[in-house]
Amino acid sequence: MGPAHSSGARHDSTINARVEEYLARLRKGLAELSGEAASEIVEELRSHILERASANGETGSAAVEEALAALGRPEDLAAQYMADDLLERAAARRSPWLLLRGLLRWASLSAVGAFVLLGCTIGYFVGGCLMLCAWLKPLHPHTAGLWRLADPPDSYSLRLGFGSVPAGGQEVLGWWMVPVGLLAGGGLCFLTTQIALWCVQQFRKSQALRRG
Amino acid sequence: MIGGLGRSGATRDVSKASGAAREGAEKWEVQLRKGCLELAILASLWGGRLYGLEILRRLESGSDLVVSEGTVYPLLSRLKSLALVDSEWVESDGGHPRKYYRITAAGRQRAQEMARVWREFSSSLTKLLEPLAKEKPAREK
Repeated sequence: MGPAHSSGARHDSTINARVEEYLARLRKGLAELSGEAASEIVEELRSHILERASANGETGSAAVEEALAALGRPEDLAAQYMADDLLERAAARRSPWLLLRGLLRWASLSAVGAFVLLGCTIGYFVGGCLMLCAWLKPLHPHTAGLWRLADPPDSYSLRLGFGSVPAGGQEVLGWWMVPVGLLAGGGLCFLTTQIALWCVQQFRKSQALRRG
Repeated sequence: MIGGLGRSGATRDVSKASGAAREGAEKWEVQLRKGCLELAILASLWGGRLYGLEILRRLESGSDLVVSEGTVYPLLSRLKSLALVDSEWVESDGGHPRKYYRITAAGRQRAQEMARVWREFSSSLTKLLEPLAKEKPAREK
């Protein structure tokens, strides 16, 4: 009786370790949630795993493995929880950084998300370049700015001024580059944020039909 | 020899095409099921409170909706943040507490609305699909 009991206990602890390992990986994926919200999710899934794996009061390691496999990878599960939460927080705080990270999660889930992410990345990039160019104009007065190029004809190039003057090119804005760059760049970043937030709102409104 | 090679190449192309069609249909089916899951969960709660595993069992017995058990829990959490369901922890005889979900008034309203959209959508699509039912499926190799 004694040996059988101790081997049963060892069996139990292996099962527990397996479940705890799964839940720890899940919790790691939920790190950005509040502690309370993450604990609630972890507790709910612990309850699910233990109950699904126990039949007639016995919990077998094969049944635990089956329950874990049916749930999928803990990282994927966490990502499903996080996608919505990040977008929600980004919408509340209007932070471009949070917004981009939320969109990145969304992009990993759907093509529309990928498209919006691409648009926002381009918007922030061009806006950032315009502002950077305005900041660098005083440092590189002769080379930084918006240039009309001779080759190909009628094309424009925004230059930060680190290279040489483009052959046959003509600078368009002169010192106006500073206010125009700051205003246009800042405006573009603001507009990108507004459009991204609008997309996120539309996405959240339609999520009932789009995914689950 | 050359003819033989050509034929086997053609056979491979045909089976590749029908395999791709099947794979495309399977992906579409997954998306379709996922899209309907929210409505199905709300409907499963219509008669009273249930905990996660009960909801899963009900969805499994009533339909083939559940693609992966993992999708149901994040979805429940989202439904809760939209105030379409409520939840409470209840101690069970088995020792571990269970998180029970209950549909809210807003949830009932949303489910009714979704059910109406579903009925209209499915009846108009069924009408559109009538010509397909009359024709035998393309020969497969």
